This record gives sequence, structure tokens and C-alpha cells, in this order.
Amino acid sequence: MSGPLLSVEGLSAGYLGEDVVHDVDLSVEAGEVVGIIGSNGAGKTTMLRAMCGLLPATAGTVRFDGVDVLRLKGHQVMRSGMVYVPAERHLFPEMSVSENLALGSYPKRPDSAQLDLIYRTFPRLKERTRQHAGTLSGGEQQMLAVGRALMAKPSLLILDEPTTGLAPLLAKEAYSALGELRGEGLTVIVAEQQVPLALGLADRGYVVDHGRVTLSGTSADLAADPQVRTAYLGV
Amino acid sequence: MGAVLVDGFVLGLQFGILGVGLTLVYGLGGVVNLAHGQMAVMAAIVTARLIDRGVSTAIAIVIGIAAAGLLGIIIDRTIMQPVYRDQTDHRVLLGLLLMLGVGFVIDGVLEWRYPIEALNLRVGGDPVSLFGLKIRRGSIWASAIIGLIGVALVLFFRFTTFGRATRSVIQDEEGARLCGINPAMVRTVIFGLSGALAGSVAMIQAMTSPVVSTAGVGLTIFALIVAVVGGLGSVSGAFLAGILLGIVNTLSAFYIGTFVSSIILVAAAAITILLRPQGLLSRA
Repeated sequence: MSGPLLSVEGLSAGYLGEDVVHDVDLSVEAGEVVGIIGSNGAGKTTMLRAMCGLLPATAGTVRFDGVDVLRLKGHQVMRSGMVYVPAERHLFPEMSVSENLALGSYPKRPDSAQLDLIYRTFPRLKERTRQHAGTLSGGEQQMLAVGRALMAKPSLLILDEPTTGLAPLLAKEAYSALGELRGEGLTVIVAEQQVPLALGLADRGYVVDHGRVTLSGTSADLAADPQVRTAYLGV
Repeated sequence: MGAVLVDGFVLGLQFGILGVGLTLVYGLGGVVNLAHGQMAVMAAIVTARLIDRGVSTAIAIVIGIAAAGLLGIIIDRTIMQPVYRDQTDHRVLLGLLLMLGVGFVIDGVLEWRYPIEALNLRVGGDPVSLFGLKIRRGSIWASAIIGLIGVALVLFFRFTTFGRATRSVIQDEEGARLCGINPAMVRTVIFGLSGALAGSVAMIQAMTSPVVSTAGVGLTIFALIVAVVGGLGSVSGAFLAGILLGIVNTLSAFYIGTFVSSIILVAAAAITILLRPQGLLSRA
């Protein structure tokens, strides 16, 4: 093993010919949990989507597991082991929980050990295997979105605002479930505007503002940083 | 009355398969295939020409169905590409117009080259008595074959990986991409399947009455009405709507008149849009 699992250099991307994200450098080692923190509209989603090939990048390189990701299409990146879970979840509303999970392992057949792991982590899903995804509560939908991504046995899981639409208590629960998954040795990138939650989970973090990385460091360093404290922690 | 109902049911099954093909293509890429019936008739004429030239009927049927499937794949990979790339509201209109053009081209070629060609695969033998009704052998064969196609489609969409992937693209294309599914590949395969299904309907129809080279527009309209009533994007809805409308169509044609039955079908579609815009059943 040499070099990080994911390395992003000079990444720029945007919409309609105008860059929203500028010159982003970022790296993730295998086994790490990395937070990307910033307020709503800071460019976190654009950055993640460009990293995953779901949005064309205008400059830069992204190497994942030795592969130049920007040459691949979005679905090919997902198959390469780097799986993105968007804030909007994009579940299949008129399919059951178990069908949604089964599609996560496409094109392979669902792996029963992986399915067990997901049902252990999210027992609520196991109670609702035959229920349509569209009828689940917001929290359950988030569990299903993460579960579906895990079915692909990703080596890097990228979560975009996993607490979107969740009540504060559910948001905390979601993060404790992510903590459990981390114990399984998963590598995770999590973008979050609820900064205390993200810093509580992550080893390291990057602060994004106006489409640029303005600060990076260990979670403890970031939590102690006066700028971060006033801007995001409300201290 | 009984015999008319049977005819209506058999016609309805054919409508159902036509509607399924149309609804799948719409659900996957937002394309209303206004050449769907013409693709069916093209398959019939290919088969008729091959039989004229001495090719065995079975092989001619397979080639005719394959030709319609291939045409679907070619349309998808060529002139539909700008439609799929367009993310604006114009997308549906662009697809609709382009397919209307394809329909004109197929109709034009058929009318120019084969104006009096027709496919006739009439099944011989005396009618069979069943439940006190005399049923034509062609109708029995047609029902049995469509029943098999229907069961195969249900199994395919429920239980195969590719079938599930197809439904996932209909329900949420971005979600499918996140699962590693290539929506473009799914669209191409299913456009081909849709063409092959249309071709199969033409073959089945030819078992009870000849399919003439000008039948395309009528079949397209039936398919469109069935897909709308069943709920665009819903496979089982299209099947159900096809059977209902087939019976309604045949009964009203028999007791009132053919042109009235067409008006009733269009009215059924309009009322569905007004009262239940999502169609009889929900998507996929």
C-alpha cells in the first residue's frame, strides 16, 4: 500500500460554465473518517459530485485506489468502490426496502452477510423489509440510503448531509449508527453543516467556504479553532 | 355477446403488450414513441415479404420481430441521444416530434414500396367449443402466446437483476446511477425489447386478421391510449388498461359502430387524465 485511498488535486467544478468549487486539494487514507464542513451553499455537494464523476470537473485530478476517476462515468465510479449517498437520498419509492437494498449490490447478487450487517446496524429496516421506500419516515429513508450504499461493499462511503430533514434526536442517532459502521473499518467522507456532529465522528476535517477549502486539520484542532468556533459552533 | 367478449379480451391482450412497450420507453427516457405501431407493422411486412420469398414461416416471424427490436436499438442510439441529453421541459416534446417523424418515414416507405402487402398468419381448423362458446383457434393461440409473454415480462421485471434495474431507472434515474446502473444501457436494451414486443403483437394479430401495411397509425394511437390509461411508466397498469379498453372497444364497435368506439377510447384516456392523472396503477 502506498499513498492515500483517495487524493484530489486542484479540483474545480460548477454549473452552466461557472465554477462553484475552486482548486480543491483533499486526501483520505484507508480507515479514516473525514468531515467536510461548511454552511449551506458553501459548495460541499458540488465538490463531492465532481469527485464521484456525477458532475463534470473543469480542472484537477481525482485518484481513487490508483484509478483516475474523472475518466469514468458516474455509474462506473460507484462500481469501483466509491459510493455516494446524496442528501436527497434518491431511493426507489415504489420498491420495497429489500428490493432497494438488493439494487445496491448491482450487478452482483445481494450478499447475505452484508445484508445481515445492515439489518444489525439498522434494525428498523429489518422490521420493514416489505414496505415501500416511499412510505418510510425521513429517518428510515436515510438508513435505507446508507444501507443501499453499503450493499455495494464500498471501500469509500461518501455521505452528503446525512442529517437532512431529520429532527435533532434522529440526527444524533444517525451519527451513532455511523460510529458503529466506523468500527467495522469503513472509510467515510461525510459532508455536514451540523458541524459539532461531524467533528464528533470524524478523525480529520476540511472547512469549505465559498467553494474553497479554507482550513483543514484534526477534528480536535478544528473544534479548538477560534474561526470555526465563531462561524460554525456558535460559541 | 360471449363471442364478442372473447374477441374483446384477445384484442385487449394485444393492446396491453403494445401499451407495455410504449410505457417502458416513456418511463425510462421520457420519449413518447409515436412510431410504436409503425414499428409493429414494419415487422409484419418484413415477415410477409420473407414468406413470399419462400422463407419458412417460423424463421420469417423471428426475423420480423428481431428487425423491429433492432430498429428500436438504432433509434435509441442515434436520434434519441439529443433527447436524453436535454434536461429541460422541451425534452418530451422533442422526443415526441422525432418519433412522429420516424413514424412518417416508416409509413411512407411501406406505402411507397408495399402498398398492398399484408401479413396473414391465420390459424386453420374449426372453432373450438369452450364454456359453450365457439372460439376461433387463432384467438386461443393468440391468448396463450400473449399470456406467456405477460408472465415472462412479470417474472423479468420482478425477479431478474436487469428487470429490477430497469424499474429503478424508471423510478429514480440518479438513484440507479448511484447503484452502479448505467441508465443509457438500460434505455437501449429496453427500446429494443419494446420494438420486439410491438413486432410480436403484429404477428399475434395476424393470427386472427391480416395486418395491412397502413395499420401503423391506428396501433400507435391504441398503444398511446392504453399507456395513458394504465399510467405512463406502469407495466401492470398498461396490461390492465389494455384488457379493459380492448373489451370496451370491441363491445362498442359491435353494438354501436367502429367510429364511436374510437371516440369512447379517446374519452376514456381524457377522463383518466382528469380524474386519475397517475393512471390506473402506479409506476413500475
